[in-house]
Amino acid sequence: MGKTIIEKIIQDHTKEEVKPGKIVWMDLDIRSARDFGGPNVIKNYEKEYGDALVADRKKTFFTFDLCVPPSSLKYADNQQICREFARRQDIEVFDVDRGIGSHVLIEKGLAWAGSTVVGTDSHLNILGAVGSFGQGMGDVDVTFAFKTGKTWFEVPQTLKVLIKGSFSSPTTAKDLTLYILKNLGTKKAALKAVEFYGEAARGLALPGRITLCSMVTEMAGIIGFVPEFRDSLKAEIENISGAKFSPHEADKDCSYSDTAEIDVSDLSPQVAVPFLPDNVQDVSELKGVKIDSGFIGSCTNGRTEDFALASQILKGKKIKEGITLKIVPATKRVYKEILERGILENLFLSGAIISNPGCSGCAEGHIGLTGEGEVQVSTGNRNFAGKQGKGKTYLASPAVVAASCLTGHITNPKDI
Amino acid sequence: MKKGRVWKYGDNVNTDVIFPGKYTYSILEPEEMARHALEDLDPGFAQKVRPGDIIVAGRNFGCGSSREQAATCLKYAGVQAVVARSFARIFFRNAINQGLPVLQSEEAVDTIENGEEIEIDFIKGKIKTARGDFAFPPFPESVMGILEAGGLIPYTRKKLEGK
Repeated sequence: MGKTIIEKIIQDHTKEEVKPGKIVWMDLDIRSARDFGGPNVIKNYEKEYGDALVADRKKTFFTFDLCVPPSSLKYADNQQICREFARRQDIEVFDVDRGIGSHVLIEKGLAWAGSTVVGTDSHLNILGAVGSFGQGMGDVDVTFAFKTGKTWFEVPQTLKVLIKGSFSSPTTAKDLTLYILKNLGTKKAALKAVEFYGEAARGLALPGRITLCSMVTEMAGIIGFVPEFRDSLKAEIENISGAKFSPHEADKDCSYSDTAEIDVSDLSPQVAVPFLPDNVQDVSELKGVKIDSGFIGSCTNGRTEDFALASQILKGKKIKEGITLKIVPATKRVYKEILERGILENLFLSGAIISNPGCSGCAEGHIGLTGEGEVQVSTGNRNFAGKQGKGKTYLASPAVVAASCLTGHITNPKDI
Repeated sequence: MKKGRVWKYGDNVNTDVIFPGKYTYSILEPEEMARHALEDLDPGFAQKVRPGDIIVAGRNFGCGSSREQAATCLKYAGVQAVVARSFARIFFRNAINQGLPVLQSEEAVDTIENGEEIEIDFIKGKIKTARGDFAFPPFPESVMGILEAGGLIPYTRKKLEGK
């Protein structure tokens, strides 16, 4: 019997027989911790293992991305706890200037197709975008992974999603993602790996794949893969990571637990309404909802192409008076690209606030909290009550956020 | 067989309401975490919870952020198990790694009422209520081993010591 992609990756990392539902001990290629979780990992580590060295310092990393640079003493202390541990252990730290850890791992070639990566980030499954099995875990799991290089994992079943039809501008990968989330909810993909097929999936560039894979977390899934890559995209990923890219494909005779078909022909922009990410409506149903602020960034929509899209809409225009638009690139590399391409200048001149890279508002971080009564439209991935402050958050594409900041209410970019 | 009083909640109880983000940096001791358990969902919970109580909830319990404290605070508040229609994956792992049993049973959740006393038989995979018994799939051996040891780290310590 053939294997799905997740089954192949896990099988490459364990001697045990891999089949869905079975718990196996598997090897981890990369283990990481952030400024969130990291201090607890260290506390656990030193309590259990004293000053023993980690299993492999070259496979162990800290990525600071939540509150960078720190805006509170607690954050500052906790980052320093991580740095000092890293110095004692000779572990590399991607410090407060580098950006979102999962994206840094992709850019540094540390998450390669077929690899296994864990860290204290519930969106680490974003690495599925490059065919890597990334998985967010808790402090105890990561402590254990630091020391042993292993974890226990129940081999998940795989759901096959066939995306039918195609869409065009101003509809984006984010709208596709929200629409899939609307259709699958939090049940259909729960605790499963997902493989996305079909023309619209195949056509996604790397940022779009990152957007889609990131929100498999909100579908309650384990990880998502978009198995079909065009040669040009393979070359692009090799160029970014500096490493050979050869992703796994599912065997023809593999077994899926279930199949879903979602038709996205002529899909219009989608918006997730407070307070659940799968509470998704067509943008036309929300016409006239007034906003106070916009946010473009996050691990879901913080790539150069996301800001380019916003820049196309905002170039030469001014965001509406009284509205604030917060721009947070995912990484330093993205920051450099939007600087060099003039995107940052367009956004700045439109009136946006430009921040250094990081997670920001999604993690009560360095920029982007909402006050009570405030309505925010955000490119992030969660709109739970209290997640980004006391206000209400609508989730949308960079194009919808940009258009809405021009008018002051939720707006379809085609109406600009 | 373990008895416990039920605290019943709805769907999508997320980790932000189980353990608020504002405390993730300032509190590191588990006993202190327990004092803030479910603070943003049920402010009376941490005061009134008794050792051995059981949480019963709907779909997708523990969704959201990966914070381990969500499982830790419930365990140290004395919660002996969580029964839900379904769990978010990271919470599910964190709970097992902390030695907190998490059980799925749609039927049991349908029937169980807030405040009633139920019994759980972890070995046989059975939940006993006033209105009948409900089966849940017993834990695989390796998970049972982690739960019995009181969590992943004690489990590994035992393994490393060759027990």
